[in-house]
Amino acid sequence: MQPLLAYPIAITIGAVPGALSRHYITELTKATLGTKFPYGTFLINLTGCLLLGFFSTLSTTIEGYPKELDLLIRTGFCGTYTTFSTYGWDTLSLWRKKDRRLTVFYWLGSAILGLGAIYLGIFIAKLLIR
Amino acid sequence: MISPAIRSAIAISFGAIGGSLSRYYVTELTKSIFGQDFGFYGTFIINVSGCLLIAYIHTLADEKSKNFFIEWRLLLTTGFCGAYTTFSTYELETQTFLAQSNLQLAFNYWFWSIAVGMVGVYLGVRLARLNK
Repeated sequence: MQPLLAYPIAITIGAVPGALSRHYITELTKATLGTKFPYGTFLINLTGCLLLGFFSTLSTTIEGYPKELDLLIRTGFCGTYTTFSTYGWDTLSLWRKKDRRLTVFYWLGSAILGLGAIYLGIFIAKLLIR
Repeated sequence: MISPAIRSAIAISFGAIGGSLSRYYVTELTKSIFGQDFGFYGTFIINVSGCLLIAYIHTLADEKSKNFFIEWRLLLTTGFCGAYTTFSTYELETQTFLAQSNLQLAFNYWFWSIAVGMVGVYLGVRLARLNK
């Protein structure tokens, strides 16, 4: 198949489960943990970073790793599963609830721990490859 | 009539396809303009504009139009904006700069993405409140 067609199809196949898992995890955490803190988005962004770190290491280390699979998992799934816009909107919503410390924790904490999760994903992938 | 749960899932999926493909093509376009190593320009623009858009739609739906269809809101916010913007790529790009020992770029990209992202959210709210 032509890349012009195969690539967007691969991304689409990853994107739909990515967005739906984000939606269902968010709804599930709202129902179980409550709405005081955006637990869902927080958890999603961290686990998504871990997955991306893991699969980026695989795709750059393993020879002949298929481009379509790479696009499906990384651009399609991980890119869609995690979200920057909801994270920004959640931060504003927390700020409006007047809980400044929780707002700063969510805003900076997501960005710091997300980077940590990338490193953890890379570390796990390197353990498996060796 | 299709059940609300199925309708929501379909709406989110449609938005997600549009969002993820826009992200891919914007990133590819920035790479072709600025070079292979500059895809993060695309991610930055995507994340900031996506923050503006999601704040605009949520504010419009919350404050202006009480009968804003729930499926349209899901399609545009959870579906499109959620898929268009990405947190994982942003963190991976930051890690790439750190691995290249480009500490200044790593910090600037890491910090200014989340700072300008919040400016985007603020502008989205203001824009939605603008027209009447």
